[in-house]
Amino acid sequence: MSLQTPRILPSHLNSFHPSSAGQRSTHTIRILGTVSSLRGDTATITCGNNGDVTLILKPDSHLQMGKMIEVVGKVADLEGGQGLGVRVLGTTDWGNPADSDYRTYEQVVEATHKFKSIFYDGE
Amino acid sequence: MDGGYNSYGGGGGGGFVSGETNSPSGGRSENRDNKTLRPVTVKQIADATQPYPEAPFQIDGAEVNHVLFVGQVRNISSQSTNITYKIDDGTGEIEVKKWVDTATRDSMDTDEKGPGDGKSEVVLNGYARVFGAIKTFSNKRYVGAHSVRPLSNLNELHAHLLESTAVHLFFTRGPPGGAGPGNAAGGDAVMGGADDYSGAGPNKALMGVSPLAKKIYNLLKSETQDDAGMEMQHIASRLSLPTMDVARAGEELLNAGIIFTTMNEHTWAILEY
Repeated sequence: MSLQTPRILPSHLNSFHPSSAGQRSTHTIRILGTVSSLRGDTATITCGNNGDVTLILKPDSHLQMGKMIEVVGKVADLEGGQGLGVRVLGTTDWGNPADSDYRTYEQVVEATHKFKSIFYDGE
Repeated sequence: MDGGYNSYGGGGGGGFVSGETNSPSGGRSENRDNKTLRPVTVKQIADATQPYPEAPFQIDGAEVNHVLFVGQVRNISSQSTNITYKIDDGTGEIEVKKWVDTATRDSMDTDEKGPGDGKSEVVLNGYARVFGAIKTFSNKRYVGAHSVRPLSNLNELHAHLLESTAVHLFFTRGPPGGAGPGNAAGGDAVMGGADDYSGAGPNKALMGVSPLAKKIYNLLKSETQDDAGMEMQHIASRLSLPTMDVARAGEELLNAGIIFTTMNEHTWAILEY
């Protein structure tokens, strides 16, 4: 089976956590957000009006503050029981957030999960 | 004047009509279907079925020839005759082959590491838009690409995914609307978006019919005053359409059991049940 990385919002992190819904074939996801803070090996992205997500970066991750980025990563537990975050596998820089409509992305996420048969294999 | 001619053709004998069957409009639907360019996700390409070997591929039961998709370039391998890309759109991965055309070799060179103009360059891990046909080679599915170009606007990616969803829903659930008269036009059906589908529930039979047949249904629904229904000529003039087309679409509705004939065979009313 080929690699599938469903697009999600912060509210979906739970259902893609390895501990939930054991049958799920993938915990690798895509998420879109604006880089709002950088702290060495972690960073935070702001996902429109849908809250923030903490990223666990790779040594070779090069993020820039204020840029819209698409993250491919795995849902993971944050250190010190601070909830869920995303362990980064790769990022794509989409530049100025003003050039992208986050609401369109929200629609894409909704379509992805509502009509999942054309997006990913799920339970 | 125009109406008079049409009434002669429609109401008259078969001799007049026979010329029509050879007209482009007669054979159109089948030819056009084979040449569709459909927006899809990579998963849909992987899930596409073939009724028998060498048959055209089908997605959601509809034949597809050319497909259009967007994804991230995970690998580029240049050979002397072709460039093979691996494209990942988050729903799956697929190999894309673009044959190197000697006439356009100059521009193709920019796909490699050389000093390109920066515009037509498809880069590793960048996004690309691909337009091509689904092919198989020794049981491996790939896309024979006519065009692979870089994509730099995120909205284009997201719009594509929504468009693929809308077309998928069009084929699995039928055109959107059915409730609103404004939704009858074919163009709107494709671009209508997922929200429009909620209204389509009650009219299951209507989903299978052509946009024109739907238009006639909507007219009958909104205009019919009594049980007698509406005459074909009258429908044609109300919709400013050739009587032939109206007759054909009416036939479709009759066969689907959506309308029935009243005073004579050219007067129709909606079959309520």
